[in-house]
Amino acid sequence: MMTEPLAEGLHVTRRFGAAVAVRDVSVTVRPGEVLGLLGANGAGKTTLLRMLLGLLPPSEGAVRLFGRGPSLALRRHIGYMPQGMGLYEDLTPEENLRFARAVFGVDLSLRRNEFPDVPVGALPLGLQRRVAFRQVLQHRPRLLVLDEPTSGVDPLMRARLWQEVRAAADQGAGVLITTHHMEEAEQCDRLVVMADGRVVAEGGLEEILAGEEVVLVEIADWAQAMTLLETAGYEPALVGRSLRLAASAEPEVRRVLSGQEFQIRRAPATLEERFVALAARRS
Amino acid sequence: MWAMVVKEFLQLRRDRRTLAMMIVLPLMLLIIFGYAASFDVSRIPTVVVGPSAKAYAQRLEKPFALAGAYPAQGLAAARRDLRDGKADVAFVTGGGATRVLVNGADLFTARAAETAVARMAAAQVDLPRLQAQLRRLLPPGHGDLFHTPRPTKVDVLYNPGLKTALVMVPGLAGVILVFIGTLIASLGVVRERQAGTFEQLAVMPLSPWDVLIGKIAPYFLVAAVDLGLVLGVGMWLFDVPMHGSWALLILGALLFLFVTLSIGVLISSVSQNQGQAIQLAMLTVLPQILLSGLIFPLSSMAVGVRWIAYVLPLTYFVEISRGVMLQGQTVADLWRPFVYLAALGAVAVTFATLRFYRLLNPAAGRDRHRTSAAGKVRA
Repeated sequence: MMTEPLAEGLHVTRRFGAAVAVRDVSVTVRPGEVLGLLGANGAGKTTLLRMLLGLLPPSEGAVRLFGRGPSLALRRHIGYMPQGMGLYEDLTPEENLRFARAVFGVDLSLRRNEFPDVPVGALPLGLQRRVAFRQVLQHRPRLLVLDEPTSGVDPLMRARLWQEVRAAADQGAGVLITTHHMEEAEQCDRLVVMADGRVVAEGGLEEILAGEEVVLVEIADWAQAMTLLETAGYEPALVGRSLRLAASAEPEVRRVLSGQEFQIRRAPATLEERFVALAARRS
Repeated sequence: MWAMVVKEFLQLRRDRRTLAMMIVLPLMLLIIFGYAASFDVSRIPTVVVGPSAKAYAQRLEKPFALAGAYPAQGLAAARRDLRDGKADVAFVTGGGATRVLVNGADLFTARAAETAVARMAAAQVDLPRLQAQLRRLLPPGHGDLFHTPRPTKVDVLYNPGLKTALVMVPGLAGVILVFIGTLIASLGVVRERQAGTFEQLAVMPLSPWDVLIGKIAPYFLVAAVDLGLVLGVGMWLFDVPMHGSWALLILGALLFLFVTLSIGVLISSVSQNQGQAIQLAMLTVLPQILLSGLIFPLSSMAVGVRWIAYVLPLTYFVEISRGVMLQGQTVADLWRPFVYLAALGAVAVTFATLRFYRLLNPAAGRDRHRTSAAGKVRA
């Protein structure tokens, strides 16, 4: 059974003067799913997200939240964590949380004392992100919108935040999360890959990868091979002592490295390689 | 060095508000100081009462401007006219010498009136001799044309010693409220915007009214305490009297504070950063200090500039605070400044609320036509 979308962008475009930040993008967030919005800096992720929240009117297209246009009443069901976290740095974590509880009408007696009683600005970044995350979760939103929530956070803290994201989704919340960490993207149920303001790929991880392969070049003098390939217009990635390139480059690789002793074999592409290929294709 | 100069010019060109302020402010100051900043009082509203009121009124010269001549009325009516702000000077004729009442709550006007009255007295010093000569030359009865007794006794009401502090302290309370209300409140929203917390407010279930009142309330409280301090210390140190009702003064102050805070928050909502907010706040604070009648008398300002004064809230608060404290005016005398303040407050609050609505709900205004677009998309 198809569930009613929590947030929908329908062919949205956003222009800033002559520049087009988002171009004809359609995206849907459903209850219980974690939708990852993947893209390089400047791909249009945050602009799309702000349009979906009603913070920015689209130049073209339409936005629906819980089946309706963005409105004051619907904000009660949204938890939004912006890149800058949106915390008052001169207030303590509990004072920030208490303010949000009062605004969202959550029981004010709830208090966990899990954070130090100092101004948020004095806390390390990871702890600040946890406070911000707690703030957007405490009113149990139906739609959770997280703009690069793990930016600047250590792996342990990142893992804890992801546990909470998954827990919120398991309880029925729809989660829209932007990231450029590929390992995080792999934890999403569905991915939307953006490049240059457009959606260049969409679906589950397998669909995005779509059997994409790379070639692995194993060669003793990898430094010289790398220089030769770069001169030929390729951008090989060095992993260990192997060079990884798009599978389509194989004939050219054999030609460029002819006369040298090397081995070449195929391997499944990682999400990052697929992402770079998609972004490169777009540009 | 040249590169630095070019870079600064480029930045200045981009910062249009600073550029505009650099051009507008000197012009504004020129106009204000040229037309408004004058201690010369050229027009003093004057009433004449008593049996010879009509004849006396005909002989009034500048700076006295006749506001009414009432032969049937006497000293009590003259005092009432001064208290109600109908006139700043009253000539009470009859009983030999003409008595002059001067409103001491308007310092420069009072001083100008005193000087003009002294001049009148000096000019008429030889009048009896002149009259005697004329009576000899003219037919009987015509010599009475000059029967206008010279003013002999000047009474300065409300501020007998013409002390500057007495007229400045009530107005100064207003200046302090303008500073707190406009300057400090103007930084409120901008600070949130720069810290990135305003976006968080925009996705919270807060109405524009919630945010507006929430922003104003703390400043309102602090400014109310400030007002009490300024008036209390002013009365204690400078012996400023309180002839009217505390309740009326407090009501006027709260209304005025609400207006200035609303203007401050409105400024904050249209500014992108704290620098812009301070610039805009200064553009509203400066004219209020110079044009409200606090320093320069309104009556000495050019008509065009006086009209600017009439749209500035401080003009009405100065009228209320001086009226209540020094002249003991009642709500019947001060209903006009109260109504004007309320009207200014309504305008400021409406604009601030609309502005907050746009900031907190940017997509809502466009959503109506988007709905039809969505319909087409789905179809």
